[in-house]
Amino acid sequence: MKLTIKNMQNFVLFVILLAVVAVISISLPDKFLTAINFQSMTSQFPEFGLMALAMMMAMITGGIDLSVVSVANLSGVMAALVLTSQLGADGGISATMLIVLAIIVALVTSVVAGAINGLIITLAGVPAILATLGTQGLFLGIAIVITEGHSISGFPPEYLFVGMGQILGLPMPLVIFLITIALLLVIMKKTRQGFNMYVVGANPIVSRFSGVNNTRALIQTYMLTGLMAGIASIIIISRVNSMRPGYGSAYLLQAVLVTVMGGTDPRGGFGNVFGVVMAVVILQVIQSGLNIMSFSPFFKNFTWGFMLLLIMVINFYLNRYQQGRRIAETKKRVAAEASGNSP
Amino acid sequence: MLKNLFKSTESYLLIVLLAFIVVVGFINPKFFTIENLFDLLRSSSGMAILAMGFFIVLLSGGIDVSFTAIAISAQYIAVNSLIASGVDNLAVAFLIAVGVGIAAGAINAVFIGLFNVPTLITTLGTMSLFHGALLEFMGTKAVNTGGLPECFKTFGHFDILNLTRADGTEYGLSVFFLILVIVVVVTWFILKYTQIGRGVYAIGGNKEAAKRAGFNIPKIQFFIYMYVGLLAGIMGIMHVSLIRYSNPNYIVGSELGVIAAVVIGGTRITGGRGTILGTLVGVGLIVVLEKNLVLIGLSSYWHQFFIGLIIIIGVSITYLQNKIRSKKNLIFVRDT
Repeated sequence: MKLTIKNMQNFVLFVILLAVVAVISISLPDKFLTAINFQSMTSQFPEFGLMALAMMMAMITGGIDLSVVSVANLSGVMAALVLTSQLGADGGISATMLIVLAIIVALVTSVVAGAINGLIITLAGVPAILATLGTQGLFLGIAIVITEGHSISGFPPEYLFVGMGQILGLPMPLVIFLITIALLLVIMKKTRQGFNMYVVGANPIVSRFSGVNNTRALIQTYMLTGLMAGIASIIIISRVNSMRPGYGSAYLLQAVLVTVMGGTDPRGGFGNVFGVVMAVVILQVIQSGLNIMSFSPFFKNFTWGFMLLLIMVINFYLNRYQQGRRIAETKKRVAAEASGNSP
Repeated sequence: MLKNLFKSTESYLLIVLLAFIVVVGFINPKFFTIENLFDLLRSSSGMAILAMGFFIVLLSGGIDVSFTAIAISAQYIAVNSLIASGVDNLAVAFLIAVGVGIAAGAINAVFIGLFNVPTLITTLGTMSLFHGALLEFMGTKAVNTGGLPECFKTFGHFDILNLTRADGTEYGLSVFFLILVIVVVVTWFILKYTQIGRGVYAIGGNKEAAKRAGFNIPKIQFFIYMYVGLLAGIMGIMHVSLIRYSNPNYIVGSELGVIAAVVIGGTRITGGRGTILGTLVGVGLIVVLEKNLVLIGLSSYWHQFFIGLIIIIGVSITYLQNKIRSKKNLIFVRDT
């Protein structure tokens, strides 16, 4: 395999991951390396991992999706309404059917919400930052209006399987996460949509004059980011066994952090699924470490903010180094050509 | 002159605001009293000051989501320092708060100006950094009215103009309004008559062009974010004086309302366009809406929904105008 800069970035991430796991395992051996901790970790990170993947796709196209957590809240509330509705008791629908219906409602809600983001961004030409900042308030607002700020609980017990069950010893959230990753890999690598996302992100004007339908590519991107949030909501409401609007507001920062840590360029054009997934696991390992050492949530917040800024500064120096090397190489080549051509 | 008046976003906005006020006044005649006006000015001056800060950031092509975290940090540190030292002096409180605000703004500027980190990512990070540090290292205990130094309470009640009600009791125009006027005039003067102010418009219009025209971009960015920090510090002190209670979890989370006010005021993140008047009308619209939601028969649960809706409608109109104009002139802009 050719060792490009992007490969190198993923390799560095992998080394960091091993180092973080090693440090925490050595310092907290009897608490970190346990089956219970593995169980709890692997059922925790799919939630913000999915939101981070959504953030990654938006950033690859040169945008950002600040509404992911709100979309997850809204579709969670919609699914919770179906799960607690009278359809099950009086409507004669079996519990399984009710669960399938709830999942469909959650996914449809999230895709529609994503499409709204995409329409505002493309048709009105609003920068993604402002559009999704607005829908962040709007979608959460709708969830609050529907529930009047209360939490919804009392789901059929069968539904808890989605968040707490196991398949072949793997927690369900992890299974869902892995399936989604496989799906995304296909979309990003093998489909026209995936290709268009990178092109639009690298330079929307060039992509437009190269025959890419920017509008369509972007709307589909935000439908996909919505879908990721929708899948996350299905896991969330089952794991928490209730839905309260406002859940997971800290996930937004974590999603942005993990996305840039995974090598995504917030200016667009670069980013890959593997990098982000590794960054998700790194964050979860650190989070578990901080949890075991019983640091306060405030300190964790402080840490995430600090890490985000640190990574951006490291990226700044990396870019400068690479640019310097490129300039030096070009100079050398020009000099070589000049001396070769001269009589 | 008159033709221009009907072209600008501000005049449309003003019409919407006036129409809204008439409707609200029709439902609730008490709304049309000077007392109510004074009351609105007292409670919303702080928000307007934050809006002035966010306005400059947006004008320069940036986004700041950390200003509420700066405001509460400045306030909580000032209040606790005064209590710890036993000094009961408003000037000292302002000095501490403004110092904390400017320092926090400078931290933002270091990342934005020197390390070229996108503004949203920087301020998203510093928001958690500042608020997390405040709660972790300064504590989470609220200071209630009894424990609050007297100077804040006096400041909160200080009126620059007193009027007498029919029954002989008095009400007045708060000193907060005077501070807002000063902030607005200073901001206007800086933007209009100083090199650095013109630079804010220039880097909002086209950063690369501004750089080649000889503007010192990092210097302008340091000014912008330190100015936002200064305003956040002032607002922090006003906030504690108004509600006579200092809770380190207040203010944070109210940034969406401020952002909504500025974006419906017509300020664009691309293009260096926007006016102070538009921003103030935007604040007026948000404040009147917020205070009267219940009056129109909607519970407070609708608050978040409306703020979001207003931002979307506001930005859609502003950018749609821009897009149509670009299309007419065959300008292809980065529309992502």
